[in-house]
Amino acid sequence: MSWETVIGLEVHVQLKTRSKMFCGCSTAFGDPPNTNVCPVCLGLPGALPVPNAEAIRLATRAAIALGAAVHPASVFARKNYFYPDLPKGYQITQFDQPLSTGGEVVFDSPERGRIACSITRLHVEEDAGKSLHDRYPGKTAIDLNRAGVPLAEIVSGADLRSPAEARSYLTALKQILMYAGVSDCSMEKGSLRVDANLSVRRPGAEQLGTKTEIKNMNSFANVERALEAERLRQVALLDSGGRVDQVTLLFNAATGQVRPSRSKEESHDYRYFPDPDLPPLVLASRWIDEQGAALPELPEARRGRLIAMYGLSTYHAQELTLERSVADYFESVVGAGADPKAAAGWVLGDVMAGYNADGHFAVGPEQLAELIGAIGDGTVSHQAAKQVFVALKGDVTMTSPRALAVTLGLVQVQDSTALERWVDEVLAAFPSEVLRFRGGETKLLGFFVGQVMRRSGGKADPKGVQPVLQAKLGNQD
Amino acid sequence: MNAVATIANAVGSGRTSAASAAREVTRLLADADARGLNATLHWSATQVAREAEEVDGRIRAGAADLPLAGVPVALKDNIVTTEAPTTCGSRILERYVSPFEATVVTRLRAAGALIAAKTNLDEFAMGSSTEHSAFGRVRHPMDPDLVPGGSSGGSAALVAAGVVPAALGSETGGSVRQPASFCGIVGVKPTYGRVSRYGLVAFGSSLDCISVFGRSVDDAARVLAVISGLDSHDATTVDAPLPPAAAEARPLAGLRIGLPREYLPDDLHPGVRAGVDRAIARLRALGAIVVPVSLPHTAYAVPTYYVLAPAEAASNLARYDGARYGSRKTGTAGDLRGLYRATRGQGFGPEVRRRILVGTYVLSAGYYDAYYRKAQQVRNLLAADFSRAFREDRVDLLLTPTTPTPAFRAGEKTADPVAMYLADIFVCGASLAGLPAMSLPAGRSDGLPVGVQLIAPAFGETRMLQAAAALEAVLRGDEEVR
Amino acid sequence: MSIGSKDVLHVAALAELDVPASELQALVEQLGRIVDYVAQLNAVPAGEQAAPFLAGPHAAPLREDEIRPAPLARGPDAIAPEFRDGLFLVPRLGAMEDE
Ligand SMILES: [Mg+2]
Ligand SMILES: [Zn+2]
Repeated sequence: MSWETVIGLEVHVQLKTRSKMFCGCSTAFGDPPNTNVCPVCLGLPGALPVPNAEAIRLATRAAIALGAAVHPASVFARKNYFYPDLPKGYQITQFDQPLSTGGEVVFDSPERGRIACSITRLHVEEDAGKSLHDRYPGKTAIDLNRAGVPLAEIVSGADLRSPAEARSYLTALKQILMYAGVSDCSMEKGSLRVDANLSVRRPGAEQLGTKTEIKNMNSFANVERALEAERLRQVALLDSGGRVDQVTLLFNAATGQVRPSRSKEESHDYRYFPDPDLPPLVLASRWIDEQGAALPELPEARRGRLIAMYGLSTYHAQELTLERSVADYFESVVGAGADPKAAAGWVLGDVMAGYNADGHFAVGPEQLAELIGAIGDGTVSHQAAKQVFVALKGDVTMTSPRALAVTLGLVQVQDSTALERWVDEVLAAFPSEVLRFRGGETKLLGFFVGQVMRRSGGKADPKGVQPVLQAKLGNQD
Repeated sequence: MNAVATIANAVGSGRTSAASAAREVTRLLADADARGLNATLHWSATQVAREAEEVDGRIRAGAADLPLAGVPVALKDNIVTTEAPTTCGSRILERYVSPFEATVVTRLRAAGALIAAKTNLDEFAMGSSTEHSAFGRVRHPMDPDLVPGGSSGGSAALVAAGVVPAALGSETGGSVRQPASFCGIVGVKPTYGRVSRYGLVAFGSSLDCISVFGRSVDDAARVLAVISGLDSHDATTVDAPLPPAAAEARPLAGLRIGLPREYLPDDLHPGVRAGVDRAIARLRALGAIVVPVSLPHTAYAVPTYYVLAPAEAASNLARYDGARYGSRKTGTAGDLRGLYRATRGQGFGPEVRRRILVGTYVLSAGYYDAYYRKAQQVRNLLAADFSRAFREDRVDLLLTPTTPTPAFRAGEKTADPVAMYLADIFVCGASLAGLPAMSLPAGRSDGLPVGVQLIAPAFGETRMLQAAAALEAVLRGDEEVR
Repeated sequence: MSIGSKDVLHVAALAELDVPASELQALVEQLGRIVDYVAQLNAVPAGEQAAPFLAGPHAAPLREDEIRPAPLARGPDAIAPEFRDGLFLVPRLGAMEDE
């Protein structure tokens, strides 16, 4: 008998603010330990929290981008537990009255096609510090620079049905949050973290099976691997007549396995209660509406528009909208007069190769549009255009691509004397191929065109080369 | 030591210097210590002299309008200062010196006050007798066998002994009004949100209020005016500074005073009852209208308080874990949990441990609804009782006894925690409702001070202080009430 | 009595407080007395008053997102029981360990 997998994800993203959630310390990543600390985030006696307006604004944007209802009043609560990187002995979070509830992420499941995963809630909270267990023997070292950094916690419904689907959901969620400009969503820098819940049940069963919680995954790929390992573990357990216990598991990327955490369930009595240091978070409904209105077009809508407006393929639209900056760049290129399909090809090819390497666009959109135009009107060949593009990347003076093509001697040659000279040279260089062609092997024409282009250094106009070649190869003298 | 206004005028006008005020307070502090009051935990003649020098320099440089120029003010040792330690009367913070200063301290200094001493208290302000300090109990200035009340007993004793004209204490459930009553001085708790808590070591955050002792209503009101007002470091403050002349006595003709019957039980101590009767007679003589009112949920104030305050305390005191500051005790296991349990188990005294355990219990899984949530609801009912009296009975102020008895003997209530809690039965209500309230002396019973309490609507301090000043003027003089 | 030694040990563990065996019985009695005392709240009919009481302002003020840490008169190194290379040190987690 088969098993159905049920997965829910809790995603923490760092909200892109300059200062921490409840104090004026910097959120900068990578500063020397315990330098971005103050009475509040050190948890000193007598210090009090004051919420960061920008964190609230970003969390509100995130909630609206996910289609959630943002509540006009929400409540900060204390989650009480002892851990050395938790300075106050409690985390300020939201509990029974979160910032928002509801919402969904629509995405393409690898197995089920287009589906929606519901969002249960989104709330704001502060991060803990960092514990280093391997620096000093027998000691745990604590850096509180991270303590108090603002987070949004996004809890999905238990709507995901496979590890691969969970990964697709994460990709789509990250895309939305990046579009909304609320977070850098970098797992390496710890600005996006994922905890997962997984259970299995018989297909069609109403009741959920006992779930386990899986932590300690440092990439989307590892989320998928960890969930797959845990799915297999639970299925094997149940198939052999065993029982799944509700435990917390840690993923080990080196072994690809999960193992139980040592923290005891009994210590998970967090004794939540409203934080008496913080009055309710009250947001005017007009202000909430303004945040929604200020959101940029989100990936889903943008894909649809690119297809409708520019006649792009679904694939091209998909790829172009993976990142908002790439889509923006593409639209700037088209806006500067480039043919949309040609622009899509260029952006997803040469442009992305550079962007993926160093994270920025080396050639301005107007320059690219001009270059595409130069191909279109036959000024440069496609091959030559690629050389111009490379040259543009290294050029900081924002030279016009057409002028650069001239400087580089890459403007196409249509002059028949020159073309005939290159054709004669090629025919002389490849006598056996000439014989084979004349013997009926006409597909060698492409070979000769290529050779002529090469000899011309890309300058020959391929459309002009063909008739000259055919004429000369037809002469049997 | 002179009154606040007298010192401030003399120092501000240059007739005398802050330095001479510093010398006098230093002498008086030494006398108090020599008498064995045990009211102070830290003070330094050099430090006070340095502060005085600074104030004198500002005055010489032309600083006018320093409302507390050269006025020595003592601070309860749960208000953080950067020079002296802030111990909260606890072993766990025995040598802790705060890296930042409380907002009220900054405001006092800006007004020209001298921080004279840090005063003894019940550990983390948990107690009603100042017997629960890790550094020994505070003696009542009139009789060393008696308690001064608590938890701000050190501040109360210093003011009552004439060492300082005013001092800061803190209230969570009456910890200034109750010792003020026991010691025969004035104690004013402001509206919750009127005075910043930034730098007050938290006990029950939704209740904690920095409050003021003075030998007179005017002394207390002048200090309160300086420390009140919005603070960007405390999200629970309100933009409502107190006018400086809040305590000018005003005629009381037509003022409606409510007398809640639940605060005058048949078994009330006769001396305390006599004090209230005397205050009623004086108020009537001054033209006030005294009417009976009812606050039906009064009996639940103490149990409500002893759910909510420990719950918040259990969370507020979690930060004392020996990891980042304060005392550290290593457990036998040598691991982190052992360190936590040893540090906290040995660092906190018995009353603090009891409250942490009770607070943890009422928030724990399965008990939250029955205790914490229920107490929150009853707190709402208690607050509604007060609003009904002010709105529907149209009373301007409420008059009650401050405490059920005059000062009791040391050791009398330490065996039974609940008996100690009941010492706060008349002061808890205003704390839970967040209302301004004060105690002022209403004479003596068998030689011991008794106080009466005035309670005002939220942000009604001015009218409360004005009425108190008028009442004080006529109550002063005749001593024995029975 | 509403509270037994098991309850006391459970909350003491949650609160990370050592309770010496010699003190347990006294604590059980004291806590029982307090909890029984506050349990009288159950007698209050308060079903409709669901809203918790709120002291102070009814909406949290928000702070501008500016880097402006409240200054420290002395650094973490000056207040920490154990501090090295800019880091607070505590013993290894032991039973709390995960990594
Ligand atoms: Mg969370
Ligand atoms: Zn900070």
